[in-house]
Amino acid sequence: MSSEVRFTDFKSDKQPTWCPGCGDFGTMNGMMKALAETGNDPDNTFVVAGIGCSGKIGTYMHSYALHGVHGRALPVGTGVKMARPDLEVMVAGGDGDGYSIGAGHFVHAVRRNVDMTYVVMDNRIYGLTKGQASPTSREDFETSTTPEGPKQPPVNPHALALAAGATFIAQSFSSDALRHQEIIQQAIEHDGFGFVDVYSPCVTFNDVDTYDYFRDTLVDLQDEGHDPTDYDAAKEVILDSEKEYQGVIYKDENSVPYHELHGVTEDMSEIPEGAPEDATDLVREFY
Amino acid sequence: MTEDLNWAIGGEAGDGIDSTGKIFAQALSRAGRHVFTSKDFASRIRGGYTAYKIRTSVDRVQSVVDRLDILVALTQRTIDENLDELHEGSAIIYDGERSWEAEIPEEATGVDVPLKSLAEEAGGAIMRNTVALGAACEITGFDVEYLDESLEKRFGGKGSKIVENNKEAARLGQEHVQENYDLDHLGYDLETTDEDYVLLNGNEAIGMGAIAAGCRFYAGYPITPATSIMEYLTGRIDDYGGHVVQAEDELSAVNMALGGARAGARSMTATSGPGIDLMTETFGLVATSETPLVIADVMRSGPSTGMPTKQEQGDLNMTLYGGHGEVPRFVVTPTSIAECFWKTIEAFNLAEKYQTPVFLVSDLALSVTEQTFRPETFDMDAVEIDRGKIVDEDEVEEWLDGQGRFRAHAATEDGVSPRALPGTTDAAHMSTGLEHDELGRRTEDTDTRVEQVDKRNRKVETAKEREDWDYREFGDPDADTLVITWGSNEGALVEALDYLEAEGVDVRVISVPYVFPRPDLSEEIDAAEDVIVVECNATGQFADLLEHDTLTRVKRINKYTGVRFKADELAAEIQAKLEAEVPA
Ligand SMILES: Cc1ncc(C[n+]2csc(CCOP(=O)(O)OP(=O)(O)O)c2C)c(N)n1
Ligand code: SF4
Repeated sequence: MSSEVRFTDFKSDKQPTWCPGCGDFGTMNGMMKALAETGNDPDNTFVVAGIGCSGKIGTYMHSYALHGVHGRALPVGTGVKMARPDLEVMVAGGDGDGYSIGAGHFVHAVRRNVDMTYVVMDNRIYGLTKGQASPTSREDFETSTTPEGPKQPPVNPHALALAAGATFIAQSFSSDALRHQEIIQQAIEHDGFGFVDVYSPCVTFNDVDTYDYFRDTLVDLQDEGHDPTDYDAAKEVILDSEKEYQGVIYKDENSVPYHELHGVTEDMSEIPEGAPEDATDLVREFY
Repeated sequence: MTEDLNWAIGGEAGDGIDSTGKIFAQALSRAGRHVFTSKDFASRIRGGYTAYKIRTSVDRVQSVVDRLDILVALTQRTIDENLDELHEGSAIIYDGERSWEAEIPEEATGVDVPLKSLAEEAGGAIMRNTVALGAACEITGFDVEYLDESLEKRFGGKGSKIVENNKEAARLGQEHVQENYDLDHLGYDLETTDEDYVLLNGNEAIGMGAIAAGCRFYAGYPITPATSIMEYLTGRIDDYGGHVVQAEDELSAVNMALGGARAGARSMTATSGPGIDLMTETFGLVATSETPLVIADVMRSGPSTGMPTKQEQGDLNMTLYGGHGEVPRFVVTPTSIAECFWKTIEAFNLAEKYQTPVFLVSDLALSVTEQTFRPETFDMDAVEIDRGKIVDEDEVEEWLDGQGRFRAHAATEDGVSPRALPGTTDAAHMSTGLEHDELGRRTEDTDTRVEQVDKRNRKVETAKEREDWDYREFGDPDADTLVITWGSNEGALVEALDYLEAEGVDVRVISVPYVFPRPDLSEEIDAAEDVIVVECNATGQFADLLEHDTLTRVKRINKYTGVRFKADELAAEIQAKLEAEVPA
């Protein structure tokens, strides 16, 4: 079936309620195209979404999907992938969802290297709750809850990921449609945890990290001749806080995904009609 | 009751108390004797007092009592902690060569065995507990060969040398007592039978039940006393095509398990009080996304971190009401170790048949107590699996709306919707914790909201009608006094009946393994003159429910010391309640 799949098959008939111009449109289109391009179809794809404007993506896409509670999408994705290694699992959420309330899960999902793609729609603000500071907001960015700016440095998600032992780290920009799609595609194809932070501007609450800002400052790592398999080069890019960039930053080509490392290959949804054949062994053990 | 022997070993945590106790318990079980064990432990790894107690009889035993016959004391504190339970016939095995000088209470007999020296003679000081076991065999007239079998089981993996050394250590202990003491006057002569029992605790029974029920995915975070469920599954579930993930916390654990369940695997998580608190937000998501999930809560003393190694049944309200909004669910409460097995299987069936969270509520007493059973108690051929309304490719069409979209949350008459596992062609759909329509799409439409809330609640109504929400009954069905309980108190209560009978008090006991939905006990309560509800908490959470159900005042026996009920103690308390002129 996959050869006939078009990206629009991943579109639901629900009209997005995102503000016109929201970066999430581009982020989602790229995801759907990347899924279709990598030979997936809605029946074998599972999308887990967080809470936030970004999290609504599960509603606008068509596939098997779960829209969970705030910050906990990654554990859900982990459960799905473990039970069904045959499924393509994609997890999506916002910067607040992923790096604030879900920060603990982020570090551990990276470390676990479960074979799924994690897309963070990073608008450097809380959109759904109407404009409060997020963990990626700038130190002096004024919001309703931080009238003088958060006065604390923003998190560096790539550094967090690298420190946690990530095997795939990337950055894309939702409005650079082709590059964004390409990067997501590479994340999907990666054997392990494919982490992509996407600059996905919020046109309503963030007048600093705008389309124009990213367009003007963005450096493409590909143009720079960056070698993503070079750990030290990746580290240098990640720790350079002066630069906004896009591209695949780091990729461990020897990555073995969690389920393979743990010998999980079977579809766990199939079980016998009664107790397993050799279940009496379990009782015998207690003699 | 002479056949009833109470044995204990006590010392500091780290002294190998648990494994020594287990070796003896297994030997007794292999010898066809019933065993009931209990543990006294503190929340620390080294130091502090720890004891492992065994009650054994040829008859079935299902409770602890206030009597100790043979005590292996590795520290003076072991003797001091148990003073009240020692009596004329008690023997205390201790090592006179150790640095502490044992103070043996007057009424008991001290049996000085050079545990360390004899162990060294057999090959290493580490085997001193085994020497003590040999000594205990001699005092009780128990054949050491049974001990050999359990030493083989315990140390077989470490090589035959270690097994042989341990056997030798036991012999040396036995001979030392034989040569130096004449303890015939104590009168112990343990009978054996041809029965071969199995010996297991409640958490093992839950783990075994989970595998029997086809559980494939488990995610958990360690917490006393639930951890051993995860440990049990970790060693075994892989053999059956499953996997255990140790999550970073309980928020993650419950969400991972939810993911596994959503993907179609029978999935489970288990925790205790503080962990249940953390999971609460997700209960509602499990319920509204209509995902079948088993969440076990092995209760311990709360609130807050409370007393992590102590018994309590204080989370009942939490499992019944936990979560914001109104969360349809089932709460199942196994009343014995065997029931831990069967109710786990039932929990998985209920979860999938009704696509809801099912709370399997057990407690510390059940989790750490080991008990003997006939192996047929866990008859794997009798395990039935009902996966509910899973639709395959051919059935999908029936459930599509006019535009070919799968109605994953169809508002059916019985409240249960068709369930399509991922991969099913043409049934892709989203589920969400947001209020949604039949397709799973977010809505705030008032009619749809009401329709979906009613639909989800209807599952509970359907289950109330279709399933047996039965209770277990003991004692005299016509007695005027009705004692009701739930959870682990059943065993002690059943044994208390013997004590009460001896005093001429007839009692009917009802033990309830379901808290929501629960059996309607109005008739039973109406028919009784006195109704007493027994539970291990301070406020009587179950008693409150019964009063609410029946609009009748009940009497209450509550224990919240952190220690489970004992049979003799319960008998006395029931009698006291009946005699007391408390207004009803
Ligand atoms: C436990 C919990 N706390 C708070 C909220 C409220 N809340 C909803 S979305 C959100 C922040 C979303 O920000 P982000 O993840 O950056 O997503 P965006 O809306 O910007 O896409 C918050 C705090 C919630 N739903 N659950
Ligand atoms: S508030 Fe911002 S993030 Fe949310 S939809 Fe509007 S533009 Fe997008």
